Amino acid sequence: MLKLIGAVLVLFSTTLTGFRMARRYAERPRQIRQLRQSLSLLETDISYGSRTLVDAFGFIAKREREPVATLFSTCVRYLETLDGASTYQCWKRAVEETWPHTAMKTPEREVMVDFGKNLGLSDRQDQLQHVRMTIANLEVEEHHARDEQMRYEKMCKTLGFLAGALLVILMI
Amino acid sequence: MFHRVLGVLPLSIRNLIESLPTSEKDRLEEIRIRQDRPLEVMTTETSRFVTPKGRLTREPREAYRPSREDCRKMLNLISNHSLYVLEEELKRGYVTIEGGHRIGLAGKVVVEEGRVKHLRDVTGFNVRIARQIPGVADALIPYLFHGGRMENVLIVSPPQCGKTTLLRDLARIFSAGDKGLRPRKVGIVDERSELAGCVQGIPQHDVGPRTDVLDGCPKAEGMMMMIRSMSPDILVVDEIGRREDGEAVYEAVHAGVHVFTTAHGRSLEEVCRRPTLSQLARDGVFNRYILLSRRRGPGTVEGVFDRSFRRVGRMEVARSPC
Repeated sequence: MLKLIGAVLVLFSTTLTGFRMARRYAERPRQIRQLRQSLSLLETDISYGSRTLVDAFGFIAKREREPVATLFSTCVRYLETLDGASTYQCWKRAVEETWPHTAMKTPEREVMVDFGKNLGLSDRQDQLQHVRMTIANLEVEEHHARDEQMRYEKMCKTLGFLAGALLVILMI
Repeated sequence: MFHRVLGVLPLSIRNLIESLPTSEKDRLEEIRIRQDRPLEVMTTETSRFVTPKGRLTREPREAYRPSREDCRKMLNLISNHSLYVLEEELKRGYVTIEGGHRIGLAGKVVVEEGRVKHLRDVTGFNVRIARQIPGVADALIPYLFHGGRMENVLIVSPPQCGKTTLLRDLARIFSAGDKGLRPRKVGIVDERSELAGCVQGIPQHDVGPRTDVLDGCPKAEGMMMMIRSMSPDILVVDEIGRREDGEAVYEAVHAGVHVFTTAHGRSLEEVCRRPTLSQLARDGVFNRYILLSRRRGPGTVEGVFDRSFRRVGRMEVARSPC
């Protein structure tokens, strides 16, 4: 009886791990897409609204869901409190702090950090160009992420279950 | 009022300015920040430098020198990290911040097709602290009427003698209906954001409750827009001089709108030598000229004159309360 309970527990936990890994693969493209959406909001704000970055980021933080909202609200906090530290520093800190809490990986983090290098430093035309470029780069990453999702999501789920089954067989 | 100014200064400079004696702080007119050169503060009378310990000195060698980092931080604070929002301001060379204070900018100019495109490497800041002085125009009100009718007014003064302050106060008084006046609708065309000091379209100075402001609008065009859309009783415009400004003044006067405006000049003769203004003067458009000087401090009223340049009333050469 005890054996049976142990077997069920092992099977249950490996399956759960598999599902969690699969979830990360499913979440990643969704979050990248969310980032892209928030950047198009920023684009509109820069071209028509002429809002400042602080206002525009605050607005995005309110509209978007987690974890993108946190990224932007963290950045706003830094912009307002760090005594005129460069925009890039504020942005980079915000990106690096929020990233571990997202399903996103290094390539899109690089894209976002790069985006910060030019943030707020040039005229409107140039800013818009950079936002658009970043959106395009994110799109590429999203494709990659989607590919990976197709390939690995199901696999993770099955693998979790099968690994559990293997363990149970070996132990019994 | 002053904390708005402190808000755009980087921490190092903010601390220095804050540590100045209160009596000095209250009289500050300008704070001048130039990269790698002495930090200067100016009051109405004198100019002095600030040492790294926050004391005032006349010796430039002892002064604190703002670094490149200071200037960069300052620009970030002024622009809220968004230079693209200041595109127009960088072209004009100054920014109005909350509280109506103005910051003049200097640096490397980027030119495109012979026109200023924007400023790069901003290395010079001139923080001009705005102090509204309500009541400057009180003593003048009785002179602006003739037989119970309000007159068109031209304020003549050299730079920095308080003509904008005076004009703003006139707008406020007429708009609020102070001094037992009937309140009137006032329209301000504020090409250089100096009269009302708007930030995002909201006047930072008290220009009265019945006052509409067109901020950053070219004067001639703005005056026509005001007449067409806001039906003002009084149009207030700073510094007319170009031909189209003169034409707009005619339009306004013919439409039954009163015009309060200013012109640069040391004397009435000097004003008459300028083509647009002399035409207006010959046609008797203005029936009150107010001549200002700095003889007893900014805002000294030298005299009030009528359309044929005769002195009105027996106004002593009095210093207005400011």
